[in-house]
Amino acid sequence: MKFWLGAAIVLVGLAAMTSTLKYEYFFFAGYTVLMFVVLATAWNILGGYAGYVNFGTPAFFGLGAYTAAVLYKATAAPLALQIAAAAAMAGLLGFGAGLLTLRLRGIFFAIATIALTVIMETVFINWRYAGGATGLQLLRPPPTAPFESYIKMLFMVMALSAVAAVAVARYIERSWIGRGLRAIRDSEEAAEASGVPTLRLKLFACTVSGALMGVAGAPMPMYLSFIEPPSTFNLNYAIGALASPIIGGTGTWLGPVIGAVLLSSLQQIVTVTISSEINVLLVGVLLVVFIVAAPDGIIGLYRKIFARR
Amino acid sequence: MNFTRRKVLGAAGAAALTATLPGRRAFGQAGQVKIGMSMPQTGSLGAGGKAALVALRMWVDEVNQKGGLLGRKIEFIVYDDQTNPALTPSIYTKLLDVDKVDLLIAPYGTVPTAPIMPLVKQRDLLLMGNFSFQVNHTVKHDKWFNNLPAADASSWFPGFFEQGQKLGAKSIAFLAADQEFAQNLASGAKELAKKGGMKTVYDQNYPPTTTDFSSLIRAIRAAKPELVFVCSYPNDSVAIVRGVHEIGVGEGVKIFGGGMVGLQFTPIMESLGSMLNGIVNYNSYVPGIKYPGIEEFLSRYQKRAAEEKVDPLGFYLPPFNYAIGQMIEQAVNGTKSLDQKKLAQYLHTNEMKTIVGPIRYRADGEWAQPRMLMAQFRGIVDKNVDQFRSPGKQVVLYPGEYKTGDVVAPYEKARGK
Repeated sequence: MKFWLGAAIVLVGLAAMTSTLKYEYFFFAGYTVLMFVVLATAWNILGGYAGYVNFGTPAFFGLGAYTAAVLYKATAAPLALQIAAAAAMAGLLGFGAGLLTLRLRGIFFAIATIALTVIMETVFINWRYAGGATGLQLLRPPPTAPFESYIKMLFMVMALSAVAAVAVARYIERSWIGRGLRAIRDSEEAAEASGVPTLRLKLFACTVSGALMGVAGAPMPMYLSFIEPPSTFNLNYAIGALASPIIGGTGTWLGPVIGAVLLSSLQQIVTVTISSEINVLLVGVLLVVFIVAAPDGIIGLYRKIFARR
Repeated sequence: MNFTRRKVLGAAGAAALTATLPGRRAFGQAGQVKIGMSMPQTGSLGAGGKAALVALRMWVDEVNQKGGLLGRKIEFIVYDDQTNPALTPSIYTKLLDVDKVDLLIAPYGTVPTAPIMPLVKQRDLLLMGNFSFQVNHTVKHDKWFNNLPAADASSWFPGFFEQGQKLGAKSIAFLAADQEFAQNLASGAKELAKKGGMKTVYDQNYPPTTTDFSSLIRAIRAAKPELVFVCSYPNDSVAIVRGVHEIGVGEGVKIFGGGMVGLQFTPIMESLGSMLNGIVNYNSYVPGIKYPGIEEFLSRYQKRAAEEKVDPLGFYLPPFNYAIGQMIEQAVNGTKSLDQKKLAQYLHTNEMKTIVGPIRYRADGEWAQPRMLMAQFRGIVDKNVDQFRSPGKQVVLYPGEYKTGDVVAPYEKARGK
């Protein structure tokens, strides 16, 4: 109940911002922050709970974005439908990729997920209808009431997606699925021997994680009014999605949220203040610092400090 | 789960607070004319972007020394977009909403510019284009003015095909990178080849990550074309030129080159040296073309470029970026205003005098008379950057009014083999 109350307050607060804040810049920047909340939360379902490190975030994110773009080009489908289709396609990709790769472990699974990104990028470079290598310019439709601008609408859509993603992650974490995934993370053999349906659970996590990443990617073509393969399948999405839970803490649903909000807000600020070169350095330095000094992230650090008291 | 509402709200509060932080530092001085842009200073277009930025800063400094625009000094606000199109919409909304710039210049390149076109159209703003290619094609914004001396794909290479036809070429091979810009250019070139009645004997796209072109070059050789048209990116261009130098493309090839990006960049020209001889390639400016003021500009630029360690010659982008400044200056002084509508009208109706020659705009904001050069490398020696400063090392074949010589063919002869 407390969670839903908190989520409702956050959503109402953000909705109030869309009607009071005049400057669209905050919504452009806020959209990116919220998008990384979704990506980090999605990554954490497989990477944090089950311990399977996924570098393939751009594949799922990009497939979501391209599904939405192609659907819009073909049928001028509304945004909600684009997001639903993106979730379905990215979920299917997650399921398929899971079937093929989840028998791999550790570094081999991580390598397979990188390959997935390369495959997806190559597919879209060669698909002329989706713009191919030249990219696709899309003209946004007018925003839906009560929003006066499209970016404010996208900002609220991403806020809702973030709340939905966190709710899904929280449900998984608290249910038998989460316990099963944690058992897999600690020892897959022991989990299997204890009757945990390991492959089924991993497939489920892979599908849900992929679908949520697709949701994060779906509004991107409308955000940019443009889509092209190299930036859509950019490895920076993988790094952001992975770094946020590590900085925030991988064990819980709140870790990726804190990590993503902190990291992408910092990146947004650094991009327009110091230099955008520094923002990549920032992620690297923060990752090293957290892995060495606080392997359980901010949440772990918080618990450690308060446990001592 | 132990996370309470307080903690959740705390996190949300932190998000809202940090998202608003940049706004706190963005107060410009009243009385300045603010010009804003993002420029790729890192990423794939970073090297060109840095050189272009030097030229724009030179223009800003010079105008400020003369007293500024409309008696107000220029404040030039630039962010690095990392050649990443995902960053430019937020950067440009920040420029408009927070920094409150008066005028906008587009980032160098097509990809970073494409996402800001709907924004400027929606807000009905003037945007000075910066070597973007066909970004206004879909959006159709009436306040877009590009500095690229080619209007569309087919206006990029008429020089190449004109020379080919003069030499009686009947067949052509195409090799193009599977990338946005190269594909656009290749489609324009194919259109011209079709119009010229040339038979395509080889047509291959290659993935942008290709490093070894030997099999592709051998395949072109086997197809026995008379023209070889290549659309490549800097790293590929280097690999292709080296591959051709080793393997050769066959005795029958009359002209080789066309749309190879990178052969205009000083470090690449210096590193390839004599391997460039004979290649006929597009360029925006080469020494020997007497645009008024360009030589003085280049001598000033080259001093500054040496200090800032960017492209030491600066033929490709810097003069065209300086020209953006000159056009803004003329439009603002001509209208005595910063009103976007008046400025756009001025740019549409008047011929702009720039260091890259006179520019008149079509309704879609592209050049009414495209002026993309086609030049042939001649007499290049190895390891000598200074040779490129003198006229004659890149002989202009097209357009006619700037022509400095005739094409030397076949390619094998032109490259001294």
